[in-house]
Amino acid sequence: MNRIIHVARIQLVNAKMVIGFPLFILLFVLAANIVLFLAAPFPEPEQGSSPTGALMSIYIATMILHVQTMTQMFPYALGMSITRRDFLAAAGLVVVGQALLYGVALSVLRLIETATNGWGVGVAMFDLPFLEVSNPVMQVLVYAGPFLLLSFAGLWAGVVYQRWGQLGVWILSLSLAALLIGAAALVGWRNWWPQVGSFFADTPTPVLLFVYPVVLAAVFAGSTYFTTRRATA
Amino acid sequence: MSVVSLRGVTKRYGDTTAVDDVSFDLHENRIHGLLGRNGAGKSTVMRMLTGQDLPTSGQIRVVGENPFENAGVLRQVCFIKEAQKYPDIFLARHALKSAEMIFPNWDAEFAEQLVDEFRLPLKTRTKKLSRGQLSAVGVIVGLASRAPVTLFDEPYLGLDAVARQLFYDHLLADYAEHPRTVVLSTHLIDEVADMIEHVVVIDRGRIVMNDSADNLRSQAVTVSGPTKAVERFAAGHTVLHREDVGGYARLLVSGIPEGRDTTSLQVEPVSLQQLVVRTAQLSDSALAGAANGKGELS
Repeated sequence: MNRIIHVARIQLVNAKMVIGFPLFILLFVLAANIVLFLAAPFPEPEQGSSPTGALMSIYIATMILHVQTMTQMFPYALGMSITRRDFLAAAGLVVVGQALLYGVALSVLRLIETATNGWGVGVAMFDLPFLEVSNPVMQVLVYAGPFLLLSFAGLWAGVVYQRWGQLGVWILSLSLAALLIGAAALVGWRNWWPQVGSFFADTPTPVLLFVYPVVLAAVFAGSTYFTTRRATA
Repeated sequence: MSVVSLRGVTKRYGDTTAVDDVSFDLHENRIHGLLGRNGAGKSTVMRMLTGQDLPTSGQIRVVGENPFENAGVLRQVCFIKEAQKYPDIFLARHALKSAEMIFPNWDAEFAEQLVDEFRLPLKTRTKKLSRGQLSAVGVIVGLASRAPVTLFDEPYLGLDAVARQLFYDHLLADYAEHPRTVVLSTHLIDEVADMIEHVVVIDRGRIVMNDSADNLRSQAVTVSGPTKAVERFAAGHTVLHREDVGGYARLLVSGIPEGRDTTSLQVEPVSLQQLVVRTAQLSDSALAGAANGKGELS
């Protein structure tokens, strides 16, 4: 365990970038949103603030960051006498820690947002209707779940690129697209759309945004492990 | 004592055999030259020694254990390669800081001194460093890590002559104070010839020379004189190279025992570089089946 913390510290040797970069993107997008709402106020909804999808920015930034964990940090670490196993364990540790940290950060930002009536301009970036949960711990976890999912997916995509190059990533994305289209076609053919809709509507938020993402994240973590075992720098 | 051993190691990538049934040892506290032409298999051997790649077959031992995924062994191994890439988010100082965290024998003061001498800008992104400055990062890490097994694979691309000499001087001085097993892989054989104590030459994935530098130097000579006398002298020995001018011949001969009679002949020592180049050429022509006249193996 000591060794893994050690390797995690090496991955965070430039923590300003690893931890700070996605937060910076988020704050930048938040500022941009506030300016936009000031410049062109949206019609006030009946109650609360106008929701935006800008929260996605930090999730995407984190995912890209962890693609690079495998395409850049991993070959470097391997070249510097770190084993694949230690590197992956450390990357997992960083991902989990980062997800929880961001979960806390987003929860705090949400509190500020509600207290200031949407940053004074009625914009809802964090206090989104489907993110409603009953207690603060659950709130953190609900924010953290998608981070875990996307970060581990990013790690896996990164190591697929590392092992099989661009072709591998193409094949992976095309198969994924085919899978999704196939699923959509099946749902359409069977007339299952109402059930799908009610699945998302009826599943409690903590299950939808924490339990399921964590299960998927575990699948991606396992895939990453097996893909990395024989990967070379 | 052998610190690194390879026994029957073969590495294939698809149809090409990069390393072909190679066996040799690296000895404790000695400077080795791992020499050979581009694509001969040097880097592949070093990648396998450092657990970055697996051999297709054969056995590799580093300090007695298989290095692949072996954290205990790898901690004692520092591999500096020309092609080392750094993460985009690294400044030069992050490369040194992470090396400090990785290698238990790291000497921070020594590293600082080297940064000064190599004039390495610490606050520059590794992406923005020049080729020579990138090499300096590698050389500094390789020296300051003081790893019991240190491998340098063409570490000084882009380094100017002064910086290279700086590297050689520091390597020798630090090696004298902190002995370790060093492998130098390089094309600039003449520059490192005086440091190398043991020579391993690899060609087309096979070992063609594996001996102490002293032995090699003492056994190989260039003989010149009247063709007949030169041929008599060389009879029964390996002729690595031959030049003929009129009735005179000039032969590079190896395997000469000491104290041979050399009257009427001119005998000169051979540089390590000449010896390696001619041996590689000989093994090439022998493999190509064109050994007629140039390199008769006797």
